[in-house]
Amino acid sequence: MNLKYDVVVVGSGPAGSVTARFAAEGGAKVLVIERRAEVGVPVLCGEGISRKIDAWKILEGKRWIAGKMDGARIYSPDKTCVTLSAEQAGNETGYVVYRDIFDQELARSAIKAGAEFMMNTKALGLIKEGDKIKGVKAEHFDEELDIECDIVVAADGVDSKVAQWAGLKTRLDPKDLETCCQYTLTDIDVADAYCEFYLGKEIAPGGYIWVFPKGKRIANVGIGILASLSESGMAKKLLDKFIENDKRLNKGKTIRFLAGAVPVSNPAEQTVADNLVLVGDAARHVDPITGGGLTHCLEGGKIAGEVIAKAIKAKDYSAERLSEYEKGWKDAFGPKIKRNYLVKELMLEMDDKTLNKLASALEKVKFEEISTHGLVREVAKHLPISTKLNALIKHRKEIKEIKKK
Amino acid sequence: MAKPKAKVDQKKCLACCGCITVCPQDAISWVGGRAQVDPKKCISCAICIRTCPVGAISGDIQ
Repeated sequence: MNLKYDVVVVGSGPAGSVTARFAAEGGAKVLVIERRAEVGVPVLCGEGISRKIDAWKILEGKRWIAGKMDGARIYSPDKTCVTLSAEQAGNETGYVVYRDIFDQELARSAIKAGAEFMMNTKALGLIKEGDKIKGVKAEHFDEELDIECDIVVAADGVDSKVAQWAGLKTRLDPKDLETCCQYTLTDIDVADAYCEFYLGKEIAPGGYIWVFPKGKRIANVGIGILASLSESGMAKKLLDKFIENDKRLNKGKTIRFLAGAVPVSNPAEQTVADNLVLVGDAARHVDPITGGGLTHCLEGGKIAGEVIAKAIKAKDYSAERLSEYEKGWKDAFGPKIKRNYLVKELMLEMDDKTLNKLASALEKVKFEEISTHGLVREVAKHLPISTKLNALIKHRKEIKEIKKK
Repeated sequence: MAKPKAKVDQKKCLACCGCITVCPQDAISWVGGRAQVDPKKCISCAICIRTCPVGAISGDIQ
């Protein structure tokens, strides 16, 4: 069957749905295709998000919220605890969400704006005329589809096939990928609404273990470790060991287990080409310290959708026209990702002893802002001079580049 | 003797896509919703084996 749209979005995650919504609102005829049977399922996420999301008014209702967080606790290897609480920071913390409902609400808002969704539809390749992208080849159940369009949006995740078919580099270095798994445990003794983070080389090399409460006596308990520091099956083994040794958790019952991969790289160098836009994990729009990407998906998706709508109106689908999106996300969060990438590299050089020292120095600090930015600022103040100097020398070029912007 | 190639245990694979993302040879793809290694492309580097969070890839590669 042949179909024709202005825009085809491959992938119905947050970045895909938000891009679709704003492109449709701007008048474009948009189709979102999704290989899975249900938007947002399976959930591949720790499900934490900053409360900043309230200000954007992108999501309706409250069904997607599992719990409002009162703060966060960060544990160093010797279990020194740095607390960031809502009281200190004017309630600027976060939510733990139901990602399936969250994604479905975003899809509904895209549909309300006029976008169409087609589930059980797997992209098989790009339709090209020479080098020019003309649409997407797909399979809906057993039916082959040729979907012609002017702009294709790669919202197909960390292993983006669309970007690869377009000839872009998609492979990640193992030092830029977190390999993760997570249990959702119920019947546990976690009652207060604090997101917990556990750091240390023996706990989670190059990453952390998280405990995100989703309500009373239920939490996501997960681990991310850097692929370059991982051994076969290490993520699950370390997580199992952690749970076994935690009295609050070790009698918990599993109601979900999942594995995932999170890019912790710099943003993709190229996020637009003629007739093509990359969003979300495909564009590597993830904070390299936390591995969080939801807010960037929403912010970047909105910019992408608006630029795409304008490009469709102007009948100009060139990389040059679409580069307004690239400029947009670079202004919005480009320097933040680059800066946090440097901090990630810096943290990798710290041994457990340094992390413990740092945590003791921060233990009594009253944080004015609960965010990675606020935390990084405090960490920077307390770093040993030698570490600071080493980082400055090693990353001189990148730091200059970020300052220029 | 030819080096052993990486092999995904389809029963253990949770389709997280980590191996696919780090494979330097683009040798791993989705087959029936699970990762599968193309032995013709595999160079026995073992990066996928080390990356797998649940130990679903084997190959006796050091």
